[in-house]
Amino acid sequence: MTRQYEAVYIFDSALDEATITEHLDQFHSLLAQPTAAAPACNHWGKRTLAYPIKNHETGYYVIAQFETATEALPEYQRAVKLDESVLRHLIVLNDGPQPVVPEATPTETKEGDS
Amino acid sequence: MRRRNKSCAICESGVRVVDYKDDRLLSRFITERGKMLPSRLSGTCGRHQRQLSTAIKRARELALLPYIKGFGG
Repeated sequence: MTRQYEAVYIFDSALDEATITEHLDQFHSLLAQPTAAAPACNHWGKRTLAYPIKNHETGYYVIAQFETATEALPEYQRAVKLDESVLRHLIVLNDGPQPVVPEATPTETKEGDS
Repeated sequence: MRRRNKSCAICESGVRVVDYKDDRLLSRFITERGKMLPSRLSGTCGRHQRQLSTAIKRARELALLPYIKGFGG
């Protein structure tokens, strides 16, 4: 079973973009699905952290959206966790753009011929 | 005492799902110390208050928002 996920990585801001892309490719290779599209990465770039993490005041933010099988996730999470260049990460389910709107339930019923 | 009738600022802005990455929006719903504002004060509806709660907690984990501020770190 495949599901949509969203991951946010905070990399050490001392790394250059090429190294970060290399790390990302390494992580995403663990999620490789024959049918799914390649993960969409959005580089936010260097940002000041709201509080220091591992004595770093700034971090390089990357947001990745991908679809993968649930079985592939633990190995991927382990790889991200063990990588020391990632200061922090968050992986959440990406449950589509919008939830169901209750008001939009179809109320129109076919009442005879029009 | 009757509660003042406040309208949900998130509903009015047309946002259906609160995004945890939108720290500018989320920062409107925390106090100057970094605590979440209760819906009693902010006027948010139940659905959006629940979404805000999750989003603020995620944003704190990602260091987009502070857990606490104003103590000189």
